[in-house]
Amino acid sequence: MKNLKFFNRELSWIEFNARVLDEALSDEVPHLERLRFLAIVSSNFDEFFMIRVAGLKRKALEERGWKDASGFTARQQLLRISKRAHEILNAQYSFLNSVLFPKLASCRLEYVPAASYNQEQHRFVQNLFKDEIFPLLTPLRTDFGRFPHITNMRLHVAFLLNPLVDKTPVKMPFMPRNESFPCAIVQVPSSISRVIWLPSPDGKTLFTLVDDVITLFGSQLFPGYRVKESLLFKVVCDADFPVDEDSGGNFIKAMKKVLQQRKSSLPVYLECNSGGTKLKAYLKQKLGLSADDIYSINGVIDASTLTEIAEADGFSELKYPVWKEYYPAELDPDQPMWDILKHKDILLNVPYQSFGPLISFINNASRDPDVLAIKMTLYRTSGNSPIIQALERAARNGKQVTAFVELKARFDERRNISWAAKLEQAGVIVVYGIANLKVHAKMLLVVRREQNGIRRYVHLSTGNYNDKTARQYSDLSLFTTNPDIANDATLFFNMISGYSAVQVLNTISMAPVNLKENLLAKIEREIRFSSPENPGFIMAKMNSLADEDIIKALYRASCADVKILLNVRGICMLVPGIKKQSENIRVVSVIDRYLEHSRIFYFQNGGAEEIYLSSADWMPRNLERRVEIMFPVMQKDLCDRLKELLELYFRDNTKSSELQSNGSWKKLSPALNGESPVRVQEILYKGFKKSAKAIDASQPLEFVVRRKD
Amino acid sequence: MVALEAVLEIGSTGIRLMACEITGLGTWNVIDRSEMPVPIGSDVFTTGYVSKETILQCIKILKRYKEQLNGWAIEENHIQVIATSALREARNRDTVLDRILVKTGFRVKVIDGIEENRLMYIAVLDALKESLPTLREHSSVIIEIGGGSTELMLMDHGKMAAVHSLRLGTVIIEQNQQTALRTQKDAHRFLEEFIRNTGVNLSTELKLERIKTFITMGAEILLAAHSCGTKLSDRIFSITRESFFSFVSEVQDYTPEECMARFKISYNDAKLFGVGLLTYKLFLNLTSAEEIIVTDTSIRDGIILSRITAPNAELQQEFFSQIVASARNLGKRYFFDEAHANHVRYTALTLFDAMHKELGVSDHGRLLLEIAALLHDVGTYIRAGDHELHSEYIISHSDVFGLNKDDMNIISQVAKYHRGSKSLYGEAAFSALSRNDRVLVLKLSAILRVADALDRSHSQKIKELIPELRGDNMILRVEGTQDTNLERIALEEKGDLFESVFGYKLLLN
Repeated sequence: MKNLKFFNRELSWIEFNARVLDEALSDEVPHLERLRFLAIVSSNFDEFFMIRVAGLKRKALEERGWKDASGFTARQQLLRISKRAHEILNAQYSFLNSVLFPKLASCRLEYVPAASYNQEQHRFVQNLFKDEIFPLLTPLRTDFGRFPHITNMRLHVAFLLNPLVDKTPVKMPFMPRNESFPCAIVQVPSSISRVIWLPSPDGKTLFTLVDDVITLFGSQLFPGYRVKESLLFKVVCDADFPVDEDSGGNFIKAMKKVLQQRKSSLPVYLECNSGGTKLKAYLKQKLGLSADDIYSINGVIDASTLTEIAEADGFSELKYPVWKEYYPAELDPDQPMWDILKHKDILLNVPYQSFGPLISFINNASRDPDVLAIKMTLYRTSGNSPIIQALERAARNGKQVTAFVELKARFDERRNISWAAKLEQAGVIVVYGIANLKVHAKMLLVVRREQNGIRRYVHLSTGNYNDKTARQYSDLSLFTTNPDIANDATLFFNMISGYSAVQVLNTISMAPVNLKENLLAKIEREIRFSSPENPGFIMAKMNSLADEDIIKALYRASCADVKILLNVRGICMLVPGIKKQSENIRVVSVIDRYLEHSRIFYFQNGGAEEIYLSSADWMPRNLERRVEIMFPVMQKDLCDRLKELLELYFRDNTKSSELQSNGSWKKLSPALNGESPVRVQEILYKGFKKSAKAIDASQPLEFVVRRKD
Repeated sequence: MVALEAVLEIGSTGIRLMACEITGLGTWNVIDRSEMPVPIGSDVFTTGYVSKETILQCIKILKRYKEQLNGWAIEENHIQVIATSALREARNRDTVLDRILVKTGFRVKVIDGIEENRLMYIAVLDALKESLPTLREHSSVIIEIGGGSTELMLMDHGKMAAVHSLRLGTVIIEQNQQTALRTQKDAHRFLEEFIRNTGVNLSTELKLERIKTFITMGAEILLAAHSCGTKLSDRIFSITRESFFSFVSEVQDYTPEECMARFKISYNDAKLFGVGLLTYKLFLNLTSAEEIIVTDTSIRDGIILSRITAPNAELQQEFFSQIVASARNLGKRYFFDEAHANHVRYTALTLFDAMHKELGVSDHGRLLLEIAALLHDVGTYIRAGDHELHSEYIISHSDVFGLNKDDMNIISQVAKYHRGSKSLYGEAAFSALSRNDRVLVLKLSAILRVADALDRSHSQKIKELIPELRGDNMILRVEGTQDTNLERIALEEKGDLFESVFGYKLLLN
């Protein structure tokens, strides 16, 4: 096979963000949830520009001839990215400003821009500015040799000043010396919320934004000057600094250094409102940006910081109906899980099911006198999380606790360093990752000494040990005491804690050791078993598919009649539906209220079906540059459940889009084929709700009669 | 509560850890395994010393292992730390051991080659449990090629014919290749010659081409088994001769980097992989085995086994009989007078048993006496005159299965004093022994001299010996002959030590 087609990774990502925007644009989604989706689109873009676009820009400079699998040079990609991103941002903000805000207003939740303040509101924000905002502002002058540092991803207001003609300017520290272009920049303070709730007598809820207020009263910062122009803007800078991986014991120090460097990195993206055109040109020149990098918006900008509006009290009709999290029916919240896990494995599907079992499992482990050791990977977790507290307690209770803290978890580094230190103080053995590799696998191992021997309890998950994201990300995890998995878990922890060199595991596959190899082998096996009469069958669900070797293997499989269903939320470099390449491959993507985050892989294997869960996407980054795991689910009823779940994901026709061979995504709709609507997340929720009810109903009906015997 | 046991093994290429949960008599589950590479072998086999960096590395690893074992709450007396050939040969071994003790609290036991053989034997025996009969049917070899030594056992229909700890290992070969031999081709020729010579020597003990069963263990061959063998049971694999040969030639062309990528091994292991397999191939070529039996076991399993199996009378007996068989083969090699040796063994043991309560010598001491009795005359192979000195030399430079260097040293001393009238005191080798061992040598030689005297004619006239302690006398009643004059004279001559050590007068009836 030659001339295989691939989609470009970055453009495919942008289409993912476009699908997120589609969800915001969908009339069926409640208004405040639409606002949330707009915020997600925006913060997604921030991250994308900071990492990917910045990387491409560097690549365009450093490796001129380089082309990706789809045949684009870095420069060609940048051009296409800019074009498509402009389209999406325009759609996003014109929807926000001219559709969503008016709609919210008609629902008595109204945005009041500075120009529309009535007298009372004007007085209110003026006082607020004087008392609470003004003391926090630090105008930066721009007339020094070096342009002032603009903090990454924060809103700023730039002011173009004009000396008042009739007065001699007062000598002020802020006075610009550069008389030709007197410009000052103020960062919108991060310590106060962007959303200001205005007094609203008539039962409406009114709000304005702190940047409106600062723009309005900005002139007060510069006595003796008149504000000629003002511009609200946000800059995204290159954040991908390599850490000195060889710094060994001093890794924390090296990491802190990176965090400092990050403060002064190159800008790659400028988002601004339609204010001063002179200022815009000035910033463009000073920040070294090209026209392609500038995104100017009519109205409110930076949707990523508007989530507070979506969290406004009340307005339940503007939000999703509440979906409760159910405690797994087979577990008793008041009983430790030790006994039940001896008999069977437990599969947990958050957020339909509560994260509670995991928390109580760790809590019980931290207190149980028979527990000897707890080992756990922590990738992104919150510092005050109950998990960290339980680990601390366990260490204080004399258990050996080992925590693998991935300092390199993007954007969380600073937080990670602080709670890692807290753990160490409690006596936890803290391992700060592995040189050159990010530990992305999620695993928990509890060693317990029981009457008839040592027993190991293992929890393996597709999602992070983070009680907050467990409410928004849909993830699967498995509790098991299977000895083969337990052995592998022990060896896995040995490898990542410096106890052992690489050892090959038996049941768990591990990246970068053999995960990719095993995946390829499973695809090849499917090809071997496949014939036109009995085609092979692969179903897989993941966040991103970008590994060329895997994609090529899937193409080969398609040509060998293997039927392949892929549910890929984000990037997909595989081109489906091409003759003699991928005609048996179908790719769909689900975007709904919960972020799809689980990775499930199913292989028909000639009838001896296998099903795996994994922390890894099928991307080179995950398969080659991260420590990841893929583990089999072996208990029959759980396999069946997972297979059904996967099948359900391919039956969704309300929140799914299907990837076309030209790279566009076609939104599925039940009307298309006259089907009844299937919304996978809702079906799952209802399913768990029903089984929880069933449990309630099956509570034994028993009269406890009080009488003397 | 279930007991846990752990073994740390400081080998030529790395330090390995194994922790087990003992589930019953002689059965266990491995619950933890680790391995970390350290170049002890390449230090020692080039310079003779373990370098400072390597010592620090060892200490760091051992500290990590200590932490790791803490996670299992294994008590200290259930942790065995052993070291094999590399550390054994290191000239600074005492300081290394001391550093390790001071820094980590681990007391390392250095295992000698033949002890390694013994541990390997019980490990293999355990792994092969069900398939043991095949060992009895043919001649077989059990072989492990390590970093610094090759452990080898030849078995003739289930009986130990010879054991050797050869100074041949992958690290040594690799070092040679790097320094003296330069090219891989030269190194291979060197290897081939070495193994051919070894084969010639071994053939005096057992015809190698009669060997049908080729049993191996060790990381390299196990890796090969995973790649080109078939799994027979949990811990046993088989590789056919052809598929092994083609696998070996395939691997010979790999660079270490390719080996790393394909077999997921460290760079150090990758460098040794090809050479290790080639060595197996050359040994396999000496035999007529059609397949390689690979056992997934190690010296660490041997240690665990010897820790946890309660002295099982039958197994112990089997084991002793292997030791005796091995010693007997050593004797045959030097054309010993087997009938005489057997007779001396019989009388010596009879005396020993009769005086059992008086002696204060353990069963192990009895075994040493038995072997000394069998081998006391091997020196006559060189020259009849002063043959006790030649016996001493031969024994102290030979390997007998199941006996370590200290044991062989004692046996050689006992053999040395089986005749002649030299005083033991003042002799360097004797003085070098510990006090306990000196007493043991005295007691055993005293008995051996008497036993030897009782077959002075080398014609086994005495059919039965009934010793009896009466007052200050040890009365030796003999049956089967009236003519004991020669023996009586001999006893006059050689009973001196007995009388002075035990204080009994010997009377031959």
